[in-house]
Order: sequence, then structure tokens, then C-alpha cells
Amino acid sequence: MKRYSYPDLDETLYRETLPNGLEIAVAPRRGFARKIAYFVTNYGSIHTEFTLDGKKCTVPAGVAHYLEHKMFELPGGRDVTGEFAALGAAVNAFTSYDMTAYYFACTQNFEAALELLLEFVSTPYFTQESVERERGIIQQEIDMNLDSPDSVIFDRLMEIMYENHPVRVPILGTGDSIREITPEILEVCHRAFYHPGNMLLCVVGDVEPEAVAAAARKILPDSPRPDARRICHWQEAPVPVSRLTQCTMEVAMPTFSMAFKCIPAPPGEAAIRQEMVADLAAEALFGESSALYLRLYEQGLIDSSFGGGFETLEDCAMLCASGDSDRPLAVRDAILAEARRLSRAGIPQAEFLRMKRSALGRRIRALDSMDGVAFRICAYHFAGFDYFRFPEIYRAVTAQEVCEFLTQAVRPETCAISVITPSHDAPAEGETKPCRP
Amino acid sequence: MIQTFSLSPGVTLRCCCDGRFKQGCLSLQLVRPMGADEAAMNALLPTVLLRGTVRHPSLRSITLALDDLYGASVSPQVRRVGDYQTTGLYCGFMDERFALPGDRVLEPMAEFLRELLLESPLENGGFLERYVESEKKNLISSIQCDLNDKQAYAMGRLLKIMCREDSFGLPRLGEPEQVAAITPQGLYRHHQRILAQSAVQLFYVGSRAPEQVAELLAPLLDFGRREPVPLPPQTDFHPCPGQDVTETMDVTQGKLCLGFTTPITNREPDYPAMQVLNQVFGAGMTSKLFMNLREKESLCYSIGSGYYGSKGILTVSAGIDSAQRDRVQAGILHQLQLCAQGEITPGELENAKQGLLSGLRAAHDSPGAIESYYSGGVLSGVQLSPEEAMARIQAVTLPRLCRAAQSVRLHTAYFLTEGRSDR
Repeated sequence: MKRYSYPDLDETLYRETLPNGLEIAVAPRRGFARKIAYFVTNYGSIHTEFTLDGKKCTVPAGVAHYLEHKMFELPGGRDVTGEFAALGAAVNAFTSYDMTAYYFACTQNFEAALELLLEFVSTPYFTQESVERERGIIQQEIDMNLDSPDSVIFDRLMEIMYENHPVRVPILGTGDSIREITPEILEVCHRAFYHPGNMLLCVVGDVEPEAVAAAARKILPDSPRPDARRICHWQEAPVPVSRLTQCTMEVAMPTFSMAFKCIPAPPGEAAIRQEMVADLAAEALFGESSALYLRLYEQGLIDSSFGGGFETLEDCAMLCASGDSDRPLAVRDAILAEARRLSRAGIPQAEFLRMKRSALGRRIRALDSMDGVAFRICAYHFAGFDYFRFPEIYRAVTAQEVCEFLTQAVRPETCAISVITPSHDAPAEGETKPCRP
Repeated sequence: MIQTFSLSPGVTLRCCCDGRFKQGCLSLQLVRPMGADEAAMNALLPTVLLRGTVRHPSLRSITLALDDLYGASVSPQVRRVGDYQTTGLYCGFMDERFALPGDRVLEPMAEFLRELLLESPLENGGFLERYVESEKKNLISSIQCDLNDKQAYAMGRLLKIMCREDSFGLPRLGEPEQVAAITPQGLYRHHQRILAQSAVQLFYVGSRAPEQVAELLAPLLDFGRREPVPLPPQTDFHPCPGQDVTETMDVTQGKLCLGFTTPITNREPDYPAMQVLNQVFGAGMTSKLFMNLREKESLCYSIGSGYYGSKGILTVSAGIDSAQRDRVQAGILHQLQLCAQGEITPGELENAKQGLLSGLRAAHDSPGAIESYYSGGVLSGVQLSPEEAMARIQAVTLPRLCRAAQSVRLHTAYFLTEGRSDR
């Protein structure tokens, strides 16, 4: 394996690409008991349209997540979770908009657990009966999200932000869409996106990098990669579909989530630079040490639940902020006014340097979390960037770039806001209806 | 691994010197009895301290100072362990090896902690009214926001009903009306009183030598005349008649919570058997509840159990289709019955133990995990190293596990279901 070192961060990374296309990244952590492995496919809830061997496929919303649930079954009634537990390992998985990750953590039997991870994720096995049984569980998960204000408020925000981009559909799909999912659909999606050539294996912990590569070579076949192409160019206007959506729910106080629609940078280093610039812009605009945060906090318009940052996916980028407030629209207006002021006045150099030092320090501290490191290595890998290079990008960002970003991104036209008010209160501003039919 | 220093009467520093991490932590906790008369004040106090000091009189000057310390953070920390509540501050900071040459992080961090704790701006014999009022509003809304997470809300209701005769039924952050009644003067007097009377627990994890840390902190955190008042020992669950309560709310999914009691607390020799039982029965993805009620019968998405060792309380919580309530409750009780009858495979027993052992082996893998493991041990009065705890788990046999299961009794059921809100 090839060794890369990052003395600024006291980190080392071993990398290799196997002949079947699998990428491997290992970040050794000497002297730690816990070891984790992430086996991740570059495939998530937004990839519902693709071609496989030249044939166009359109699958129902929620397939990536359904598939994630069903991967835990193996032929012969084998119980994957139980086999991990017998090794002292805890296995789990998640599906996001643009990736699906299977991972385990253990303190012993690492190599056996790693082989099991590679085996079960590369073995599709779906019966009519088990796919049927899963529908009840996933329906309960969807129902749980319908009662969760955080989930409802964000899904509603995406609906008014995007007209065509599938980020406007919940990751789990809907009750209707999951009813259409069959074993055949799951098989097609597995064949298209779970080939080693579309995946990354990332390990963090006190392990031998060569042993990780050896396990991958042993378990994963050298099969030819299928001709699968995701269709992911969605026509989007530079502004949201509408600016405001409101509903009522059983919540204690009004809560909001807003976003500013941004033009996504091309993938790779440009996209990462945009992300770091946007992070610093968010810090300058409404971060905890910004003048605006202090003012809104002291006026009681926001509390410690307030926060935000930059979110980006294929063909979609946005600056988000959310929190609880009695007057969400006043918070939005204050953010817009402050962005105008910063764009005109600029950020003083000393303040900018302090912000960068703080942001870098926080990112370095976050490297103590093995799960955080594995997640970022995977997410940045699929975005075409080596995460451990973040200090050099930070150092290169200028105050002017940050102000230019604010000027372009944070405008009334690009902003949409989703608000939930308590069902026992009268609606605060505008017309409001219950969030569920 | 952990070195303990007594800095002054009732002030204890515990240090874990470890150079593997990229960040360190320094926490300070004042240990209080959990009581309706002060729970809300203890919850409010650290948030008021974090609003400003004489030298850093505003939120902004505080966050700018933390930015200068390479993005360090100070958070309010309010914990509950059995009959005790702690109030204090938790500092997280970057390790000095990443700082610019010559820059110190621990010294200014410790000095800042002292300043936050002891040098608040005052007026009319109390804290600044505008800080107190604004943090009261925030605390009340964060207590009320429990409602947003229906599973946590239902569990809070269960414990309140089941533990109405016990300190465990008091909400960790107090009640909204108790917060509303706090005055700036009353809160300041409380602060002075608990600084003089409470046990103070300091905890450091990082790359510095423990002796150096003790030398640094001893003079900084000198609270003047102290008269520590010892706390009464932890007590078992205070019994009351059980109840079966159903409440309605505008929800899609029903939440069923069951509360069980057992005489086995973490002070009893059978504590490890109860821990393993909880694991076999309902904790995690290989437990009987998960494997049967979710995987086999598709009755729920989330289901799990929890064991509060300080009180001998076992809880089960499930998100379900409301029409299936009776079936789910019968299913939960049936799985518990199977445990009591010893219908546990060697595989189930081994998986459960491995789950607990794995957690203990990783107890030293992050500063936060170390702080929480040892602070929790000190407060519960059960101080075992991870290795000692592991040996006890490994020694648990099937007959001991059955006896533990046989001691468990259903006490209270709480069901939150769809309907007109009756809050």
C-alpha cells in the first residue's frame, strides 16, 4: 500500500486501488483499543435514475435505504448481526442522499469481522417474504420521522428549495413509494452500485494496513464492472421554488430551518474549497463569535439551539441555518441584513485570522473521533478529495473570497425558510396548516 | 492510569495523562443532592456563568477568547447520577503540539475556567438580571423542547409517574415553573453556598504530567473558606403503587414505555448479572426484543431496554403502531419471562457479554469517554477500573442471569397514542 503522511495533523494514511476497482484507505491509530471499518458505496437516495448495460432504469424513492435494510440477510437463514456480535463487534449502516455506508466497531477479532463485512455487503439475497416483512419496519421508521420536527422541517424545506433535484424527496421515500419496491428492483440496484469499483473500504484503528488489503483481495471477486451510469444532472433555477413553508406540529416553540441556494462548484478541489470558504462565511455571518449571533442571542431571538453550515451534494449546494425562535422571519431578515453589511464592509484581517485559527483548531480536535474521521474520509473521497489536506486549503482561503461568497449566496432571492409552529398556538405569521394530511 | 490529588478540603483532581489524543479536556463539577428545591438553579447556573465575566463581560468577548485558544470550547455540564446532580463546566481544547511554537493552551484555559467560575459581574447583590432572565427563558424552552422528541418525552413521563416518591422522578433540569421563580440574587447566594459546601470534582485528560496539572490548578481554584458538607449515600428506589397510564397527542406513531423494578442496584454483587440481562433482553441489535419484536414480527422500528443501576430500574421503550399495543406489551413480557426461565442460548449470553466488554475495552479511547467513565464511577460510589468491571462481567453465569431476571417486576406502563392532545 502507498503511505501518505500529514505532519500538520500527526496523521498517516495508507491507500491502494485493487484490480477490481475497490479503493482502500487505512488511517492507523496506534495504541487505541477500538477499530472501525466503513464499507461504503457511492450510491444514495438521490440516485433513482440510471442506465444499466445501456438500459434506462427508474426506481421508486427510498430504494437505497430499503436495500441497506435488506443487505443484513444472507442465504441459509444466517443472522449477520448475531455473527458480528459473536465476534464482539457491533455492526450498523446508514443511507444518506449520496452514499450508503455499512460499518462495524470492535476491540477484538478485527480481521474476522472485516471479512464478514465484506462478505455480507457483496452478497445480495432478497426473498419475497423477507422484503415484504421489511415494509412494516420501514413504514414504522417513516412514521417516526413524521413525528420528528427536525425531519419534517428539513424535508419541507427541500421541497420548496428544489424543483427537480431528488434531494426534495425524503431519503426513506414515502409510504406509497416503498410499496412499489420488489426483490427484483433491489437486485438491479445492488448489481449497478455495489460493485467493488463503486466502493470504498475505510479503516481507522490500530491495524496492519496490509491485512486490510489482504482481506479485501480474499473476499471480493475480480468480476467485471457492470456498465452502470447514474443520471444526475437536474435542471434547477438559481432560486427556490418558493420562499416560505409553514405548518403546525405538537412542538414546544416555533422552530425554523432556512437555506440559501448556492451554485455548486465543479467536483474535486474546487468543491472542497467552496465548502471551506462557505464554512468560514457561515462563521463570519452567524457563528457563535459573530456580532450577529451575539445580538440575536441577547435579544432573545435565538438560543443555543441555533446553528448552521454549508451542505453540498452532486449538483446542489446550500448554506443552512436552523434553530428555535419565537420570530423566525425576523432571524432570517437579520441574517440577510448582516450579509449585506459584511459584503460592503469586508472582514478585518485580524478577525479573519482568528476565525481561521479557531476553525482549524476545531477540525483538528474532531480528528479524535474515529467515526468522524472515517465518515469524512469516505464523503470527501467520493467528492474527489483527500480529507487530511484540509489545513492547506484553509490556509489559502482569503477574507475577500469569503465576502464574495456572502455577496453571491446570501440574498433574499436565494433564501427559503421552513417554519413549524406549535399546534396549540395561533400561527405567528402567514397562513399555516397541519403538516400531515 | 488515573492519579488523584486532594487540592484543598473537598476539592479533588483526577488526572489521566495520555498523549494519544489531539484534544484534551478539563472539567469541574460541584456535586449536589438531587432535589426539587435546587435542581433548576443547578441547571441554570453554568449557563449564566458562561454569559460573561468582569474581564470578558459579553458573550462575544467570551467566544472571541475561545477562538484565540484555537477553537476551544466551554460547555455547561449538568449530570444526574442516582440521587446526585452535578453542575459545572466542561472545557475541550486542542493539544498544544498543534499550536504555534511557544503558544500555551492549558494555562490560559485553566485561568479562563477560574474566571468563569469566580468572577461574574454582579449588581444589586446578585448576577446581572439581563443574563439571568435570558438564560431562564432559554432553559425553560429547552425543558419544553423535550416534547419535540416523542420517544424521549414518553420516557420522561414514565419515569415521572413511576418515581413520584423518588428523586429519580425529578427532571434533570428542573421544572419550568421552578426556573421561572429564580431571582438573580437567589441564584448568586446559591452559587456562593455551593462553592463553599459542595464536593468539587476536577478532571483532566491530556498530554501534561499530572503533577504539573495539580500545581497549576491548586492556586487557581482557591475558593476561600470552605466548609464541605458530606452528601448522604445513594439510596434504592423509593416504592409507590404502579400505574397504567395512556395519554393522547397529535402523533403518527404510538410510544410504549414500560418501567420495571429490581432490588439489584450497582451496589449489589449481582449488578454485573443485571447488566448482562439488560443486554440479552433489550439493549442493542442482537437482543431478544430487537430480534423477535422487530425482526421476526415487524411490530416496530425502534425498541430497546435501559438499566439504571443506581436505582434498580429497567425500562423498555418502543415506537409502535398504536393498534398493536397489547400485542407488543405481551411480547415484551414474554421475552422477559423466557429470560427468567433460562431460555437463553449460549450464543445470546456470549454476545451480550462481548457487547459490554467491547464498550469497557474502549473506555480509554477518547478524553470524553475517560472523563465520563471515571466521573460516573466516583458519583455512583462504585469505582472499578475497566479491567475489574470486565472480569466481573466475564464471571456471570446463566443461573445468575436467570435469578436476576426473576427479580424483575413490571411497575408502571405509559402509552402515548394518537388523539386530541390532552396536555
